[in-house]
Order: sequence, then C-alpha cells, then structure tokens
Amino acid sequence: MTTLDQQPAKAEGRKDPWGVLLEKVGKHQDRAAYHALFEHFAPQIKYYAISNGMASHAEELVQEVFISIWRRSCLYDWRKAAASTWIFTIARNQRIDMLRKMQRTSAEMAVETEDLWQIPGDNEDEPVTSLHRLMSERRIRESLSQLPEEQITVIAKVYMEHKSHQMVADELQIPLGTVKSRVRLALNKLKVILQDQNV
Amino acid sequence: MTRHHPDSLSLMEYSAGNLTEPHALCIRLHLEQCPHCRSRVDTLNSLGAVMMEQQPKVTVSDSSFEQLMARIDSAPQDTSPVVQAPRLSPLQKLLGQDINELPWKRQLGDVSVLDISEKFPGQGERVVLQKLVAGGKAPAHTHRGDETTIVLQGAFADQKGVFNQWDFVVLNEQDEHRPVAVGCEDCITLSVLSAPVKLTGTFTRMLNPFIR
Repeated sequence: MTTLDQQPAKAEGRKDPWGVLLEKVGKHQDRAAYHALFEHFAPQIKYYAISNGMASHAEELVQEVFISIWRRSCLYDWRKAAASTWIFTIARNQRIDMLRKMQRTSAEMAVETEDLWQIPGDNEDEPVTSLHRLMSERRIRESLSQLPEEQITVIAKVYMEHKSHQMVADELQIPLGTVKSRVRLALNKLKVILQDQNV
Repeated sequence: MTRHHPDSLSLMEYSAGNLTEPHALCIRLHLEQCPHCRSRVDTLNSLGAVMMEQQPKVTVSDSSFEQLMARIDSAPQDTSPVVQAPRLSPLQKLLGQDINELPWKRQLGDVSVLDISEKFPGQGERVVLQKLVAGGKAPAHTHRGDETTIVLQGAFADQKGVFNQWDFVVLNEQDEHRPVAVGCEDCITLSVLSAPVKLTGTFTRMLNPFIR
C-alpha cells in the first residue's frame, strides 16, 4: 500500500518482541531465539491441543507446530501479521493437518491444508499491510476486556474447543439464535462486522 | 469487485479452523479476491491468537525442546526452511486444468454439472461445479439444506440480485430461485451441499473425530 500506511506500522510492528525473535530464527536459525519462542508459546499450544480434545496428541502437536515454525520462519513478515497471530494460524493448520492425516489411508490429498487455510505472508502478491492489521491484537485485547463473560465463553468454545455454533448452543442449553447474537455482538465490538450484507 | 461476502460467523468458523474442507475452499477462493474479507479474517486470526494467549498454559514435558532440536539436527532435509512455491490457485491445484475444458456433464437444458465430491473424501458433503451457458436459464428449484455457492466465472442473476465472479452466497430451503446467466460468459459456480441429515447427524464434525 502507501508509505503512509507503512510508517506508523513500522514503529508499532517493531515493538512486537516475538516478531523480532521469529526473524532471528528465520534469518540465522538462531536457537536461543527459537528456545525463547518455545518457552512462551509451547504451553499455550499444548493447552490448545488439550482443549480441543487432542490430549493424547498434545505433545506431538507442539512438536509439529514448532517444526513448522522452524521451517517457515524465513517467510514470516512482521508487516503482515503479529507473531502470535502467525503462530496461531500455524497451530490451527497443524491441528487440521494432523486430523486429516489420521483420517486418510491414502497419503494423497487433492488440496493441501495450506491451500485451504492460508498462513499470513505466504501470498507474495498480497500488498504489504496497513497499520490496521498490526494494531488489531492490541485492540482486540482492549475490546475483549470490555465484553461480557457470556460472549467470551462462546468465542472461546469456537476457537479453543472447535465447536460449531450449534454445538455451543447444545452444550450451554441456549437457543442457536442466542449463540449467534452473542458472537455478532462481540464481533461488532471487535469491528469484524463492517458491512455484512447477507446476514 | 465482489459484493456478496461471507457473513462474519462463517469467517470466524473459518479462522478457527472449524469448517469442512469444501466450505473452507469456498471461503479461501473468495478471500483470494476480496481484500475486505481478508482484512476481516486477519482480525479474526488475531482474535484466535488472543484467545489462545488468555487460556491456561500447560507445561510441556522437560525433554520436549531437546527432542525438537534432535529432530532438526538429525533430519535436516525434513526440517529445512520451506521454499516459497510458485503461486497456484487452490482451484487450479484441485482441477488441474482449465475450468472450461473439464468433462462437463450436460444435465437439464442450459445446465452442465461436474461432481467433484471425491476430491474431498470423508467430508460428507456434495461438492459440485455447475455451468450455465451464457444467457441460459436454470430450471426453478429450491435447495435441500444449506447450499454454499461461489461464482468462479461469469455472473448469474436471480430475484435476489446479481452475483458476479467471486461473490459468495448461501441458499437454503426457503430460497426458490431461477438463476439466469448474465453477461457474455458461461457462468460457472462451485457449490457445497450439506449432506443428508442422517449423515451429518447432530452436527458431527466430519473433520474431527475427537469431539466429545
């Protein structure tokens, strides 16, 4: 995009210490940086695996996510995603990948996981991002702290437990419409809903 | 420019990794062409990261990091940095040839179809490409369950409006429509049809055998 967009983003983006470490791994295979990332993110990823029902494969998922981080860090671009967002998408994809492999007897998959769920920065053609994206994590933390607990609970079940809106409704014994409206209220606050046309 | 976008709830399910492969493909194809929705998904991915960060942490086993380094040292080929592959659209990868050259099966009048469900084994959904010849009309029809459609080429119109290339639309039982291909190109769409109720059961996630 324009240089105007990049300037403030640069100042903001460089403040992300995890992004700096990822770049060190990507550029120099820096093992100390890699270890620091592991110390911070591995316990999060392990909980992620356990909460979505993969307890017996939790350590394995952590390993696969970190191998992927090691291999892909050369593609990490702090202008396209904050480090923790990038790592979240890798954890999500590795989980999907692991489940896909467990379900397939044939190794052949017509479409790879990353063709379906993109990792930010993989698409070279994508214009370098705006301030908006880099600011979003901080904004989300601020907005989340203002949301009612019932909205956060629903979002956590979708992201951490991989439950569909219907499953969340069944579990909490509330109507599907209530689940959807809680999510919409939350997303509205997070400004994801900008101009939904077909809702 | 696309004008019909996936709703925020679908994008959230996508970002969380909860969609079936064919549904994810529809969203992905839309995202490729829609900066607006890409930006929404960026925010949702950040929401996922923040959710993960705000959950409890679980200590990994003591040897976990050493195992990782041992693997990197012992199998450098499998753990070497990835090389950015030339960009190929997921659709090209999936179909392997030009969309107009596919072995289309003429169905009713102006409509041809190609069922590609077998490319998504175990997903329990019907995935079909449909082609409506330029200027052609499809017979009036309703939909069984939800049908997610993305326009891959050309455009069609029905009583709800005009759907252009990369537009995203979800139809259900209530939507009876009679699409007409508008413009000078054949209109080609990719549709994902929910499986019959008995296959999907009470929302069994096809992808996930671990859901309790």
